Amino acid sequence: MAVLAAPAASVKRRRRAVRRVPPTLLLFVLVPLAVEGFWVFWPALQGFYLSLTKWDGVSAPTFVGLDNYAEMLSDDIFGTAALDTVIWIVLFGGLSAAGGLGLAMLLNRERKGVGFYRAALFTPVVFSLVATALIWQAIYQPDGVFNNVLGAIGLDSWKHSWLADPDTALYAVLVPALWRQLGYVMVLYLAGLKGIDPVLYEAAKLDGATAWQQFRHVTWPQLRSVNSVVLSVIIIDSLRSFDVVWSMTKGGPYHSSELLSTYMYSTAFQSLRLGYASALAVVIFVLAFGVIVTYLVRAFREDQ
Amino acid sequence: MTTAAGLSRRHFLRNAGLVGLGALGSSSFLAACATSASNGPVKQAAGAVTVQSNLSSPQAKVAIEALAKAFGDKGGATATVNTVASETFRTQLPSYLTSANPPDTFTWYPGSLLSGYAKKGLLLDVGDVWQTMGNYSQAMRSLSGDGAGHQVFVPMTYYWCGFFYRKSNFAKWGVTPPSTWSEFLTLCETLKGKGISPIGLGAGGGTQWTASAWFDYLNIRINGAQFHRDLLAGRGRFDDPKVKKIFDPWRQVLPYTDPNGTALAFQDATTVLLQGKTGMVLTGTYFADAAPKDAIDDLDFFQFPILDPSVPVAEEGPTDGFFASARTPHQAEVKEWFKYVATPEAQELYIKNSSGTVLPANPSAKNSGTPLVLKGKKMLDEAKELTQFFNRDSSDALQPTADVALIRFIQKPNELDSILSDWQTAAAKVFQGQS
Amino acid sequence: MSVTTTRPAPPAAPEERVPAKRNHKRARRTFGFHLVAGGLSVLWLLPIVLVITTSVRSFSDIASNGLGALPHSFDLSSFGEAWGVGGGGHAMLNSFIVTIPTVLLSLLLASAAAFALSRFQIPFRRTIILVMLSGNLLPPQILLVPVSKLSELLGIYDTLTALIIVQVGFGLGFYTFVLQGFMRSIPDEIQQAALIDGAGPIAIFWRIILPMTRPALAALGALAFTWTFNDLLWSITVLRTETVMPVTPALLGLQGQYVSNWNVIAAGSVIAAVPTVAVFLRFQKHFISGLAIGAIK
Repeated sequence: MAVLAAPAASVKRRRRAVRRVPPTLLLFVLVPLAVEGFWVFWPALQGFYLSLTKWDGVSAPTFVGLDNYAEMLSDDIFGTAALDTVIWIVLFGGLSAAGGLGLAMLLNRERKGVGFYRAALFTPVVFSLVATALIWQAIYQPDGVFNNVLGAIGLDSWKHSWLADPDTALYAVLVPALWRQLGYVMVLYLAGLKGIDPVLYEAAKLDGATAWQQFRHVTWPQLRSVNSVVLSVIIIDSLRSFDVVWSMTKGGPYHSSELLSTYMYSTAFQSLRLGYASALAVVIFVLAFGVIVTYLVRAFREDQ
Repeated sequence: MTTAAGLSRRHFLRNAGLVGLGALGSSSFLAACATSASNGPVKQAAGAVTVQSNLSSPQAKVAIEALAKAFGDKGGATATVNTVASETFRTQLPSYLTSANPPDTFTWYPGSLLSGYAKKGLLLDVGDVWQTMGNYSQAMRSLSGDGAGHQVFVPMTYYWCGFFYRKSNFAKWGVTPPSTWSEFLTLCETLKGKGISPIGLGAGGGTQWTASAWFDYLNIRINGAQFHRDLLAGRGRFDDPKVKKIFDPWRQVLPYTDPNGTALAFQDATTVLLQGKTGMVLTGTYFADAAPKDAIDDLDFFQFPILDPSVPVAEEGPTDGFFASARTPHQAEVKEWFKYVATPEAQELYIKNSSGTVLPANPSAKNSGTPLVLKGKKMLDEAKELTQFFNRDSSDALQPTADVALIRFIQKPNELDSILSDWQTAAAKVFQGQS
Repeated sequence: MSVTTTRPAPPAAPEERVPAKRNHKRARRTFGFHLVAGGLSVLWLLPIVLVITTSVRSFSDIASNGLGALPHSFDLSSFGEAWGVGGGGHAMLNSFIVTIPTVLLSLLLASAAAFALSRFQIPFRRTIILVMLSGNLLPPQILLVPVSKLSELLGIYDTLTALIIVQVGFGLGFYTFVLQGFMRSIPDEIQQAALIDGAGPIAIFWRIILPMTRPALAALGALAFTWTFNDLLWSITVLRTETVMPVTPALLGLQGQYVSNWNVIAAGSVIAAVPTVAVFLRFQKHFISGLAIGAIK
């Protein structure tokens, strides 16, 4: 994926030697495509069809045309969820990208202890959600760790039921979500930083570049390809962010932390309105597809 | 997937497998696992009745497994219990039921959802099992019907709800349980004066549904059980002035309700109550499961105070039991299992192994006999009518709409009008979506 | 726990003859680094420490003092309970039975597709890549019902085979996308040399490209292992029998309808985290250098 955005020069250098495609190669493509087609695209097409129906999951679906999509226009909760999703993409996406890059720059140089620090920041990625959701709920409780710390540093007036207050619930859930995501993005950026030729920094130092100038003119341009990986990952993860939010607030209190993904899930599996839920899923898909394809098509074009 | 590709893939897989195992630094143990993957499903024992169970709490799981074992030991058919997390169970139930090869029986509760499934022909008619259950109350019998003359459910246990409190705490504070609403308010005032949050609540985290107990009780006390059932079945409106009225007494007690009530999950609310930071909590007997063993004997409850003496007294008496899939290939065995779980000995066995605060559905069966249980049974026996619980009298689909409305009311009681109209809108969508 | 990387620290050359003043400055900066990085690590590990603390408390302690309170008990029996009564041991085995073939199979298929799509002029290859990636953009929750019906139709519902195939299908798009990007950065000359020697596409794939892709495969392998091992959604969709459930749904199954033994759940989570943490620590070295090579050009 990184290469898609690589500078045009490096691609031109490698002219394709093989123009005739051997039949075995078609199998290389067709077998995975068939597997994915059967298990992903076929169910997905059914999902698209279901978005045009009314269905409770038990009886036969009835075709209702575009009614589900029309309903979204007058659905306040859909509006809330869409707005929250935008906030979520900006904050969750932006902070995990910026934070991940910051952590990667901090932990880039090999030195004593750095391996431990990286592992520590990475552990949340692999830890089971069931337990971490439980612990974060305990942290946010009225007499939980977070409020106790606030009290200890003299901020008693800030004490708060973070997950229960509709004004703070979304942001309170954001913290554990970032906690789980930052290590992942950090590793992607670490990989990118590892790939930058040290000679470039030597040259910049000889030119008397400040640390900021080095970042601005060496690090950042060189990270361009990693940024495309990170962007894709972030869009996919923030639009589909579901498990952390669902396990901590279920989108509540009263829809204040509702994302499109949680709304879709509760519509499908609590309200048992699978037709409308499918339509919501299609909207999520269109949003993700729109962002990523816009980006990739541009990258493809630069590629040529 | 042609054979050529299959062949080369297998070759690749073997090599890749070796690489992978080497990397993991593991031994033949993993290789054995990897190959056994193709051995397919774990087949259910031939002829055994599969009991798909949502009783996932350790104690309940032990109890239902002991029941299945005792059933098998008495000869004849056998039963295998298959426990899945209750949340998983709930979301997958439609899939299970519409599957071509569904599990034979399910743990569940009676309610409108069940009659919905029955109407679609998904449930086994167990009328002949009921012929062996002559001593069951008429209430249990009609509860287990599908509304169209078929019996589709076999009850095993039921329990009650009330204001639970710690006897030692009430003694320490010098207060006694109230019997009228004004006494209740006085009690709240007294406790508040002592710096205690009088009314505990555990409507935060994943247990927002516990707030519905308040809605249910206020509605059945003020508008009566029939109005309540009609409303929950979609035959009424949540923005009805009669519904709005029940929020008046609720508003009276909001100042006495633990301000953290919407931030604490049910289990944490239990802890807070046991610690004496809150005075009492409106809940079902499953409350006792969350208490440490040494505190259970210290627990007592009182009935939700009467608000309008002219309304026949109704209580919440949620019932649990089993239903079966219409497509089960083991009809005879399933009915044998049902006849067994309806017997006093089976229910006594179950109660002995479970937490012991539930009541047997069979009137001839003995309950655990503790003062708490006897008192609870007496309260339900004296009630003119029993309701189940919000989600049981309505559906699990309607429950989230109640959570949204009630939590918002507790936090922002002044927005009641818009809360109720939003609730009605959300509820209408649910009812419409299911019709 | 410490993980070292092979690449030496880049600019270490002229610092042998630094004056004492600069040494001071360096020591201060090192101290500052450890303060910040150490502080962040402690912050990051704090919730994990709380999980571990919860796992060694007794149920009565949690019930009477609360989840957020300091422990008043030390009790390791929750681990035994999670492993035995809770079915953790069996679930762990199921997880391995599912995860290992899933990771191997999906990486194999994805790298084959990525090889063909990146090294040859397959018609519509970019469209194919986009289509394959788009399969990862749909919220998976909405596919649950169709997928479960599909597996039932094939007669593999409630088998681990179904879970493996489904997870392979859903992983392929993303893995192919990443791998083809990586493979494009491998210089063409190597492939041409092999062609001149008369090697067929399978030989080129197997003997040349795949070994060169090993770091990326290690990286994706580690990620895929985590994702597959921690999966909940697909497990509960295509499985319904307790005995075939992998570890994450089994952990969820420890939650009661009303009341949960949090200490047992925490203990189960700690046990379940061991393999993924081990795989990650083992693969971290490859992971960092692996993606680095892919991302360079």
